[in-house]
Amino acid sequence: MSGAASKGSGWLVWAAFALPVVLLVLSLNLGSYYIPFKEVWATIAHGPASGPAAASPAADIIFRIRLPRLLLALFAGAALSVSGASLQAIFKNPLVFEFSLGISYGAAFGAALSLVFLGHGFPPQLAAFAFAVLAVLLVLVIAGRSVSQIVPVLLSGVIVSALFQALLSLVEFFANPYALQALIFWLMGSLSQAIWKDLAMTLPVIGLGIVILILLRWRLNVLSLGDDEARALGVNVKWEKGLVIAVATLTTAAATSVTGVINWVGLIVPHLVRMMVGADNRKVIPLSAALGASLLIVADDIARNAASFEIPIGILTSVVGIPLFIVLLKRSGKIWL
Amino acid sequence: MRSVKHLGFILVVGILSALQAKASSLCGAQDRPPLFITDNLGRRVEIPGRASRIISLEPEITRIIVALGAGDRLVGLDFFLRNQDHLFPIVFPASQKLPVVSNQGQDLNFELALHLRPDILFSSPSEEKSTETIQQKLRVPVVALASIGRLENLLNEIDLMGRILGREDRARELLEYFRTGIATVRQTVGNIPEASRPRVFLSFWGSLLRTPVVYDPVEAAGGVNRAAGLIPSYLGTAAATVGVEQIIRWDPDIILVQGNYPPGERLVTVESVIGDPRLASLKAVRSRRVHYAFGFWYWWDPALVLLETQYLARIFYPDLFPAFDLEKEGNDVFKRFYGVEGGFTALDKVLNCHEWRRE
Amino acid sequence: MRLRVENLAFSYEDFRLEVGSLTFADGRVTSIVGPNGAGKSTFLKCAASVLPAPRRSLFADGKDLTDLRGRERAKLVGYVPQEPSFTFNYTVLDFVLTGRAAFIAAFSSPSAHDVSLADDALHYVGLNGRGRRPFLELSSGERRLVLIARALAQGPDILLLDEPTSFLDPRHEVETMTLCRRLAEEKGKTVIVTLHNLEMAVRYSDAMVFMKKGRVVASGAPSEVLSEPLLREVYEIDMKIVACAGQTFFVK
Repeated sequence: MSGAASKGSGWLVWAAFALPVVLLVLSLNLGSYYIPFKEVWATIAHGPASGPAAASPAADIIFRIRLPRLLLALFAGAALSVSGASLQAIFKNPLVFEFSLGISYGAAFGAALSLVFLGHGFPPQLAAFAFAVLAVLLVLVIAGRSVSQIVPVLLSGVIVSALFQALLSLVEFFANPYALQALIFWLMGSLSQAIWKDLAMTLPVIGLGIVILILLRWRLNVLSLGDDEARALGVNVKWEKGLVIAVATLTTAAATSVTGVINWVGLIVPHLVRMMVGADNRKVIPLSAALGASLLIVADDIARNAASFEIPIGILTSVVGIPLFIVLLKRSGKIWL
Repeated sequence: MRSVKHLGFILVVGILSALQAKASSLCGAQDRPPLFITDNLGRRVEIPGRASRIISLEPEITRIIVALGAGDRLVGLDFFLRNQDHLFPIVFPASQKLPVVSNQGQDLNFELALHLRPDILFSSPSEEKSTETIQQKLRVPVVALASIGRLENLLNEIDLMGRILGREDRARELLEYFRTGIATVRQTVGNIPEASRPRVFLSFWGSLLRTPVVYDPVEAAGGVNRAAGLIPSYLGTAAATVGVEQIIRWDPDIILVQGNYPPGERLVTVESVIGDPRLASLKAVRSRRVHYAFGFWYWWDPALVLLETQYLARIFYPDLFPAFDLEKEGNDVFKRFYGVEGGFTALDKVLNCHEWRRE
Repeated sequence: MRLRVENLAFSYEDFRLEVGSLTFADGRVTSIVGPNGAGKSTFLKCAASVLPAPRRSLFADGKDLTDLRGRERAKLVGYVPQEPSFTFNYTVLDFVLTGRAAFIAAFSSPSAHDVSLADDALHYVGLNGRGRRPFLELSSGERRLVLIARALAQGPDILLLDEPTSFLDPRHEVETMTLCRRLAEEKGKTVIVTLHNLEMAVRYSDAMVFMKKGRVVASGAPSEVLSEPLLREVYEIDMKIVACAGQTFFVK
């Protein structure tokens, strides 16, 4: 069960990583525009159409609409889950995730600020990251010495989230109605605006962040023991903790700046994974990535196919995530997984 | 002798009555009996005999008030019309002197409103709770009206406002002009069979994927709004969000992009639609039948609605409306509605509408 | 490996720790005793670098501990806290495995060698076979043993144990202290424990250090250093030292 992966868990890890890929491939068949199974495969095999006028829209739909969207779902789902799991380890607090640390709304505020005042030419990811980091720092400052306790951290996170939501309202106040409409729409969280230009910039950043966090997975076990013990074990707590927080924040901010605010994924997924395989982060981190990617693909499939109009994905994840959060909150205080 | 006195008496009464009648028609609804109307929220409201100090939080109604010649009765304006709308200052320059009584979110500043002593207030039906609150706090009748994309509603509003303001004649005149304008278009396109009408996709509100479920000018001009019926009407909302694939599935003949705001602020433009690689397969994109339309943000401008209908008819059926001159028609419409000269030319400077006429 | 203290001064809030010159021999168990607030835990934490000790105050075999990088220092000094603070329910083996942190690079995972060392440590403390149980299922006493196993897996020659017998029943108290003795005698470790229980201290230590209000009052072998006046000075109550059945008891 621990140490080098035994045969049983090795199989599980491979299966887990295969799952989002399989789901992605299957989901390429889903969409408002009906493309028969065979044509989907033929189009994929043929590769993206070159040349301005495509003979049939199938190639356009698969390569320009569905594929970028599914890739975004995969990466964003993995990013949010891995970040959530890492932050939970660092803060020794299973109720921590990107929302409860103010990262979501910090990033949203930064991106909104950038979109409204710097225009669409300027990539919003930079401002998103800057304010997401600021949000986390604020949480650490407000929590102060109680940063190792659950309730003070959650409270600080709520305060910081509220602060950035208020600031966001301020941006909305000063935005002209045209930018405002677009901003509100973006805030609801959506994968529908996935275009290759945005993804080319963001996916590598997200990918890098996920890889770093996966590499640090065992280290998180050590860091989760707490500052004092980790230090006694010879770990440079300041640097390594700082690294994890920075990478988790960057990864989440990069994802949020493209998708808007998609909540609860970073909370639900690591918990589900821990319920299945235990708390060892060597398993929890990579499996969170895989499961998070899978879940977001499925959620997006529902968002774009359940009705003739688009259901904002943030609403779907909230409807599932909030009741689950309540259940987990009630169990806190008892020792959980 | 008595007959002379009689005559004199009759003469005096006659003159006085005539003067009275003249005064009535000049000063508005001084003496008409109170009116009961039902607003969009289903509320029955008693309208006072005189509606001479008006606050309107509903820009559409404000525009109608000005069009009906009762703009001088406005004592307070909402934030949007006063500070953000491009057309209103052109057609009603006096608006710049009026105080703003609401903030960006159209929340009413109660103290300021009270201070202005309105005798009636118009609000937006999307704010049901605040409508009631305003009525209770200000003790003034509040009427919630909006047309939300439907021409019939707009026409009824003009009629209703005419009665409320005692400007029935003017209302009739406007309605006549409006109906004639629409009817002219309808007559020309009326015989076109359903199957030949162009299917239209509307991209409004600064996003490619947001589209109005109800937008009558399209139908009136002989087109078919692809998003019609997407959301059941009892939800009361006009806007739906669709996916790009849905647009491809519809493969509309024409794509209309909202253009009634300055080019520099447009998040979706004709160029961005034509240049979007995801939409390359659409026939509208390939044949470059992507145009600007005026559209609306939250509330209509009645003059612009008429103009839009005529303008869209020209886009849908260029052969049937060869003589359509947007600037001339625009100026005409604004003159008839608001009494300003060159109103459309002034608007054109902001919106760059002359670019739109290159079709 | 000997631990030598030279003019260790540390203060926080209104507490000041001052230890002049002290040596802890290898292969021996030294217990630090004293009333509450004497600074025993503080001293231990300074030695473990959990609290920032000043430079040139702690030496292990001549090397200034504060000069070493954390990883190097951890290979020399192991710390067993009184109670672990944690929320995640790792398995016992995974928990002990974290002790290998100093030997594993930041972006790596434990190797088979690390795992076998962790297994050995569990075996030594008598918990072999419990490796796969969730940590929090274990009793208080067993958890304490796991903490010690973790420090063992870390492989240092100097072991610092903070109140290892607190909250334990007599049987587990004896087990723990016996383990400390074995570590010193069998493995030649320098074992330093803080204790409340004077009887335990006398019975299992080779040397004792008495602390009061942040200072060392006396140090040396129990037979040399113990006296009733000393006890009165340190604990501020009268205690009688009674020998009975080959052991020393303290009657208050």
